[in-house]
Amino acid sequence: MELPYYPINDFGPVMKGLVIGGLGIFHVFLAQFAIGGGMLMCYFQWLAAERRHALARQFVSSYFQYLVLFSFVLGALTGVAMWFTTIQLSPRTIGLMVDQFHWIWATEWTFFVVEVVSGYAFYRYSAQLDDRSRMRLLQFYTVAAWGSLFWINGILSWQLTPGTWSIEQPQLWGGFFNASFWPSLLFRTVSSMATAALVACVVINTMPNASRDQRKELINKTANFMIPMVLMPLLGAWYLAVFPDDSRSWVLGGSPAMSLFMGITIGASLLIGCYALIGLFFQKLYINGATATLLCALAFGATAGAEFVREGVRKPYTIRNTLLSNSITPQEVAHLRQIGSVTNDPYPLRGAEQLPTEQLRLGARVYRFQCSICHTPSGVNGLTHLTGSWNGEQKRLMIAQLQMTKPFMPPFAGNAEELEALVQYLEWLSADRPPQWPTRHDPQILQQINEWLIEAGTATAVDKAAGRGPAE
Amino acid sequence: MDRIFPTGFPLPTAFYLTVYMITLVIHVLFMNYVLAGSAFVAVSSLFRPKAIGPQLPGTINGVLRDWLPFALGMTITAGVAPLLFVQILYKKSYYTANLLLFHRWMSILPVLILGFYLLYLIKRIRFNQWSLGRRRLVVIGAFLCFGFTAYSWTENHLLSLESTTTWTDLYAREQMHYFHPVLIPRLLLWALGSVPTMLLGVAWQLWFYQRRIGPIQVRPLQISWLALVGIILSLICGGIYYGLVDDATRQQFTQPLTSTYLLLALVGLGLQFGGWALQAASTKLQQRWLILASIGLLITLLCMTVVRESARLVRIDITSLYEQHAQLYKTGGFFLFLAFFLLMVLVVAWIIFLIRRNLRVLAHHQP
Ligand code: HEC
Ligand code: HEM
Repeated sequence: MELPYYPINDFGPVMKGLVIGGLGIFHVFLAQFAIGGGMLMCYFQWLAAERRHALARQFVSSYFQYLVLFSFVLGALTGVAMWFTTIQLSPRTIGLMVDQFHWIWATEWTFFVVEVVSGYAFYRYSAQLDDRSRMRLLQFYTVAAWGSLFWINGILSWQLTPGTWSIEQPQLWGGFFNASFWPSLLFRTVSSMATAALVACVVINTMPNASRDQRKELINKTANFMIPMVLMPLLGAWYLAVFPDDSRSWVLGGSPAMSLFMGITIGASLLIGCYALIGLFFQKLYINGATATLLCALAFGATAGAEFVREGVRKPYTIRNTLLSNSITPQEVAHLRQIGSVTNDPYPLRGAEQLPTEQLRLGARVYRFQCSICHTPSGVNGLTHLTGSWNGEQKRLMIAQLQMTKPFMPPFAGNAEELEALVQYLEWLSADRPPQWPTRHDPQILQQINEWLIEAGTATAVDKAAGRGPAE
Repeated sequence: MDRIFPTGFPLPTAFYLTVYMITLVIHVLFMNYVLAGSAFVAVSSLFRPKAIGPQLPGTINGVLRDWLPFALGMTITAGVAPLLFVQILYKKSYYTANLLLFHRWMSILPVLILGFYLLYLIKRIRFNQWSLGRRRLVVIGAFLCFGFTAYSWTENHLLSLESTTTWTDLYAREQMHYFHPVLIPRLLLWALGSVPTMLLGVAWQLWFYQRRIGPIQVRPLQISWLALVGIILSLICGGIYYGLVDDATRQQFTQPLTSTYLLLALVGLGLQFGGWALQAASTKLQQRWLILASIGLLITLLCMTVVRESARLVRIDITSLYEQHAQLYKTGGFFLFLAFFLLMVLVVAWIIFLIRRNLRVLAHHQP
């Protein structure tokens, strides 16, 4: 297939992934609330039907109001927004995912419909329903909510560990039930339960006509939903164990940013887990609204960290072995080194008149096409900061051997002229964009770049370490 | 295209086109309810303040205010399915339009969230105690949110039909919106066409009310009239739109592929017209006339969707995508989807049954 060029938007000093990652975190948190919430409601409906707790029924009603108000509206819409933002990040990635898994997605959609219909039916009519019907609706809701996790989890985990799927032999189920499918599914289920229980603690504190003792009892019941958190270290270890080796090394210290996020997730989860286990379960303590809200905020932090790690560890791919982070396939790299990466890019440079020479414009377009997905010129992860202390020659070498410079970067996918243009662009930026800039076409330098490019090869560091060339 | 859809296309392409169109019609049904419904409440609030006073069951405004939030939830959920298949069918053009209108899609998210909460506000008892001005602001605000969303989809659609030159131009100029001369008439056609759909939905809800609870508080004649006016206005707007499109597209409308469906759509419109006209003569909502209008509506919507698609094919060379569709056709999972789709229908039917049974038992116990 011919490499498709798309218009690439510029977010100024903010890294694209940050804009979109932020939305993703929000969405995942809400989805977890909905999934765990369904289970929790079933449990309390059961308590109500068995007359085990006087306020269980009332609690189900209050909780469901929140579930509908937040999760239905925000959850559904942030979900749709995820489509649009992933298109923004990499239309090619989402395109390939849709190609491979459209029927799985369509199946997930049938679960959405059941989720909305059963949820709304419960919201609207539960007061007029008998216990058995209430339970039935909640069960439909819960199965639908968790089922949508089941389907999407297969697709998302496939991005990191594609299993027996490959672009040449696209085995749907071999890709869907991949190595990280089960640990990821179980991990998310447990965190959904914990999230729902924490939100429940907040809701219980807002129930108007419950005495403190009654609240305490309800809170202690929800604590049962946090017990599975003891499995988290085990599930986390399992998850890590099935990561590709290089990805694992990023979170275990190889990449300071990713290790930091991993640390946040583990720390926040540990705090919540210990509090839940010791305080709520063993000592049967009461927690007030403020503490409960704080714990929710911690859970949000844990989710945020986990999402960053999940997005980060795929580097230098968006789909392992098949599509690089900058939407180039490994097979295309060699070809683009011949013809140039932006030679066929029909999109002009925005604000081109601010760049004094044609070479600089070429450099800016190469930056836009190959680097802008992970870097900004001078903002977050800014290239001028990262290369600030290097001279021209160091820049050329480091970029020509990009995949060796940092193994989570893809190989440079352009020709020597483009690389030199990129270096000039970076130097011009570092020099504070002077109105005049010399054009450099030194054949000796180009020759040197070419040698470095050949030396680096076109395979990713990951493939190199595994003794593989780029996929042919 | 000189063959009638779905013949004339290779199987995989015809298959994906069909699935796309069916799911789009489901989206459109709910979308029409939300778009025209929120417009109806907004317009009523200007002329009849009572419409946004304490909720009156058995009236058009009463039904709408009660059910709009759910309809919006369904509009959004139902929108996901055609969103999936439009990507399969027209990957590059769809993605490009999306990327170019980036700001738009990022603003739709908060706008729809706002619209959703405004609809919930309208349902709350406390809403009735607000000043008239504030209440008007809420209902008009809600309509504007959905109007803006409809505008954006139409704009996105038209932009996706453009050539690379238009795209690169728009990109270079960093323009956040795209204007095309047919954009407003097209949007108007969607908006006016929504009116009969919405009224039919509401009429069915009122019919159930009439059967289960008691006489409705609105004269059926009034609903019929509104629907008939809606049909006539959409027809006029359709005519204007026809006059405004480019020659190639107009020519496409006379090809068998399109003309057959265009004619059928008019037949559907005729059935709707007949259903409403017959209903107008009755003092109660009549099931059979509503059924007649519903059949007409489904025919119109399905056929107009084919017409809409055939107009797209004037701009996008679908033959160049056949190979891709054929490739995708081989990916597994269709039967899995089909099985769960049927299960979904069963579960939804069961839920409706469950609730009706409970309500009936309840009605039995409290005379
Ligand atoms: C997959 C995302 C990704 C892509 C694509 C990418 N980079 Fe990077 N790059 C990173 C990350 C992450 C770092 C680490 C930043 C840090 O250490 O703080 C980095 C670091 C760097 C550094 C500093 C290396 C060092 O040793 O300190 C340079 C220079 C650099 N990138 C240049 C580029 C250029 C030029 C391109 C485009 C041709 C590019 N990168 C494409 C993710 C990427
Ligand atoms: C109240 C909210 C909405 C309104 C009023 C609305 C309105 C519309 C309109 C008017 C069109 C037709 C555009 C045209 O042909 O000119 C359309 C198409 C479409 N809508 Fe919606 N929509 C809404 C929400 C959504 C959502 C949330 C989604 C996605 C999840 C969605 C998915 C689609 C898709 C995929 C199409 C077809 C686009 C194409 O073929 O180019 N809609 N919508």
